[in-house]
Amino acid sequence: MRILSARPFWAALFLLSLVGSQAQAYIGPGAGFALGGSMLVLATTFLLAFAIILTWPIRAAIKFFTVGNPYKNASAKRVIVLGFDGMDPGLATKYMREGRLPNFQKLAERGVFRPLDTSVPSMSPVAWSTFATGTDASHHCIYDFLTRDPCTYGPLLSSTDIGSAKKVVNIGRYMIPIGKPSMRLLQKSQHFWKLLGEKHIFSIIQRVPITFPPVPFKNGMLLSGMCVPDLRGSQGTFSFFSTETEEGEAKFIGGEQTVLRRKGNVVRSRVVGPDNSLLKSGGRMTLPFTLTLADDGKSALLEIEGCDAVTLPEGEYTDWVELTFKAGLGINVSGIAKFYLITTDPHINLYMTPIHIDPENPAMPISHPEVYAVYLAKKQGKYATLGLAEDTWSLNNRVTDEKIFHDQAMSICEERERMFLDAVKQTKKGFLTTVFDTTDRVQHMFYRYLDPTHPANEGKDTEQWKDAIAQVYERADALLGKVSYLADDPDTVLMVISDHGFTNFRRGVNINSWLRDNGYLFMKEEGARTSGEYFDGIDWTRTKAFALGLTGIFINREGREKSGIVAEGAEYRELVQELADKLEALIDPETGKGCVRRMVMSQKFFDGPYRFDAPDLLVGWEGGYRHSWECAVGQVTEEAFADNTKSWSGDHCVDPTIVPGVLFCNRGLTEENPRLVDIPATVMRLFGQKIPGYMQGKMVLAEPSQEASVLGMLDPRSLEQSGAAPGALIFPEREEPGAEGEA
Amino acid sequence: MQAYNNIASAIFDFLLTPFGHEFIYFDLLFWPVIMGIGALQVYKVASNQAAITRVKTQISMHLLEIRLFRDDLLQVLKSTGLIVLKNFIYVGHNMMPMAVMLLPMVAVMVQLVAHYGYEPSPPGSVEVLQLRLDPAAGVSSRDVSLQTPDGVSLDAPMVRTADGQVFWRLRADRAGDHVLTVDVGEERFEKAWAVGGDHRKIPVKRLRSWEALLYPGEEAIPAHSPVLAIEWKGHTRPLAYLPDGELGILLWTMVLSMAAGIALKDVFGVTL
Repeated sequence: MRILSARPFWAALFLLSLVGSQAQAYIGPGAGFALGGSMLVLATTFLLAFAIILTWPIRAAIKFFTVGNPYKNASAKRVIVLGFDGMDPGLATKYMREGRLPNFQKLAERGVFRPLDTSVPSMSPVAWSTFATGTDASHHCIYDFLTRDPCTYGPLLSSTDIGSAKKVVNIGRYMIPIGKPSMRLLQKSQHFWKLLGEKHIFSIIQRVPITFPPVPFKNGMLLSGMCVPDLRGSQGTFSFFSTETEEGEAKFIGGEQTVLRRKGNVVRSRVVGPDNSLLKSGGRMTLPFTLTLADDGKSALLEIEGCDAVTLPEGEYTDWVELTFKAGLGINVSGIAKFYLITTDPHINLYMTPIHIDPENPAMPISHPEVYAVYLAKKQGKYATLGLAEDTWSLNNRVTDEKIFHDQAMSICEERERMFLDAVKQTKKGFLTTVFDTTDRVQHMFYRYLDPTHPANEGKDTEQWKDAIAQVYERADALLGKVSYLADDPDTVLMVISDHGFTNFRRGVNINSWLRDNGYLFMKEEGARTSGEYFDGIDWTRTKAFALGLTGIFINREGREKSGIVAEGAEYRELVQELADKLEALIDPETGKGCVRRMVMSQKFFDGPYRFDAPDLLVGWEGGYRHSWECAVGQVTEEAFADNTKSWSGDHCVDPTIVPGVLFCNRGLTEENPRLVDIPATVMRLFGQKIPGYMQGKMVLAEPSQEASVLGMLDPRSLEQSGAAPGALIFPEREEPGAEGEA
Repeated sequence: MQAYNNIASAIFDFLLTPFGHEFIYFDLLFWPVIMGIGALQVYKVASNQAAITRVKTQISMHLLEIRLFRDDLLQVLKSTGLIVLKNFIYVGHNMMPMAVMLLPMVAVMVQLVAHYGYEPSPPGSVEVLQLRLDPAAGVSSRDVSLQTPDGVSLDAPMVRTADGQVFWRLRADRAGDHVLTVDVGEERFEKAWAVGGDHRKIPVKRLRSWEALLYPGEEAIPAHSPVLAIEWKGHTRPLAYLPDGELGILLWTMVLSMAAGIALKDVFGVTL
């Protein structure tokens, strides 16, 4: 390491040595900056270290007298759960057979590989909440990303309630908040690492979904994951600046679209930031910028007010650029974003990622303790903090292309790999978990490449990225190799899990349109057949049921919904049964085949205290189907069935039996069919702790006194998913019994 | 050296004390702030800003590490050690700008001290004049004599010490800028004594070689002279809440220039 530039350093030292003792008193601010600051740091360090070392015996004594040796009954000193969102057992098996996942293969052969039963419904916020709490959705109350506000029928984020400060002081044009804005995690139950912490078992939790805002717990640290908003408070709003227009308007839709006017080689515009809550008049904070194209047209210089100038080479991402928005009264809000100059000729097209909360100066807490996010940023540099960090929406709207999305996803993945490997080294004892989203996002956006007949392929590339999914599995495998190396000791249990698998998404079904066609949903306007988003134009005085989100159908219940018309009791039960029967018999007119495998009636299926908050029916689609895009946002369209032509071409919001997750472990199982809900209970037992009564799972690894009965590779014939998604070539031919060993 | 002192004195005699020597506050506020800003500019150019940013980030990261992993004693000790190491690296990165800043800072501070650090001796007061001989010159203190002008009288006999120092107790009989003459062997030296009157630039010490740069009130003693220094144990100027005289001026200038530097570092885009 080149610590110092040696020649100037020694020359400076020599010069200083020539100066006599009296002169040293005069060296003024230079010496002050260096020596004063340095002394202060040293004093703080020694004070801190001294305090920690001095109080350590006291803390150790308290620990001893309160919990004794926390690892006394543990069968593992360290448990690592490596989560790959959406990793599919079918695809994992296929790639292992192709020899592309040697580390997964090794782990499975040394321990076990089985499908992992996912949650109901099978989507990430629900499944990871089940992982975090050891309970089903009716206990943790997360059924989807969105739920409806029973007072307005409008959408609400299921996981988080972000309000404003309780009191404000009005001074002139400003409203100064007194205290912090209220932020609440709406997930119920409790995280199992909180229980571990109370027993003095250390945990590091990185990016487990639905952990924003972070809930404090003892003896550990947590970095929030999915559902951390961007700086604007949304779940990810990208920006697109373009000179390309259609009739004077932005050509593309989605995100923040800005039409640029070019003057020679220069364009000027503004980065639109968050709302200015300090101003009574509100409005967005903005940062003016100038983009100057290089003469060769291959790059541009981006100068944003208050930031260092950044060179944008065409076709490459910048590093994270710090954006500082000035709210007034000396208050700044920091965010980070990356820029990608897509084209310069004939049109300038500039893409900016959503503005992430700056981890080094977070505008809202994204970690516990709050300094953990700062620590990670100082250790490895700025990193993506947005919950849904990989910007799928810009690709789905074809504002960007596969390369731009893929480059972004890989760069985010690299940040997280560094962060996680570092945490593995730091966790000598205790629990460590992380969730990598890249596997999920890449499968969502590249699944059509597995299916040559996918409707989304029309007019799009079908060759260049056809190996993208396999490559992301290989990347996961490479990471597993490194983790296995670092965690190769008998006291460490290493699990690789996913929350669900994946399947094709070829056809979208608008349940709202079907409800309209079948007399359960009515429009206000006579003769109208379609509505705007979020039920704009729905007659609630006649509507009995409506669909919002990715799997749910709500009954317009009296006493629960504001204009509810379905009475509790027999009327409700009969309606739910009637809808379930009709939907289970629903036929896709294009294929003539059924498209719903199973309807889940929440009030019968769930037994938890929050089942009343659940959508009344959950649609268990067959592989290849899902709620249509319009249905998910409460819109009624003319037709109920439509091809999915979006780049988002794979999904998992189907019947959960079709999309189990994966469980790889370096120890054998005692259960042939492990479930996601069993993982927290298993971790508790591995650390020698009692499984709390409210947890619905059980220990699935062998206790020290037991023999592991379930070992080795899974039998792919056990997978419902294989071949179930029409067109998806996961296994080209459905295998016959006994064929497994030949592969 | 003498030429430098003459030029520097001419410039600073012009620049300093725009409101006279009685009103001390303008110069003691203005110049340290200017020094702070100047130091920032020098620092920005002369230091490796990227390396300083990096090492500071690492130091704060290790500090957070101590806090976050406080139950892991080995980690605490490791982080502490790394902070110490990185502090040395940080100080190392500061050597170059420190060396570059040294001379201009000294130039301003010595002028501030000369103008504001001392006050004239009151008429009737008794002060001690000290002469230090260079032991290497081989001159005996017996070869030293003093002539006093009108208005100055000897209050006690001359005192010589074995290590070549000579002391005179002198009485200021009346106000004025007196010039005393000291003979050392064949060589003659003059030493000024400011008695009474308004505040003004006070020549307290007359020194040999580079040390004369620190006291620019009088000509430097020639380099090969047998005399090292002729100095008054003079009257330091009281400075309200600060230590009197030279120390107070140095402290104040140091603190204020640092405060100005820190306050304005973001404005000038400098990492300290």
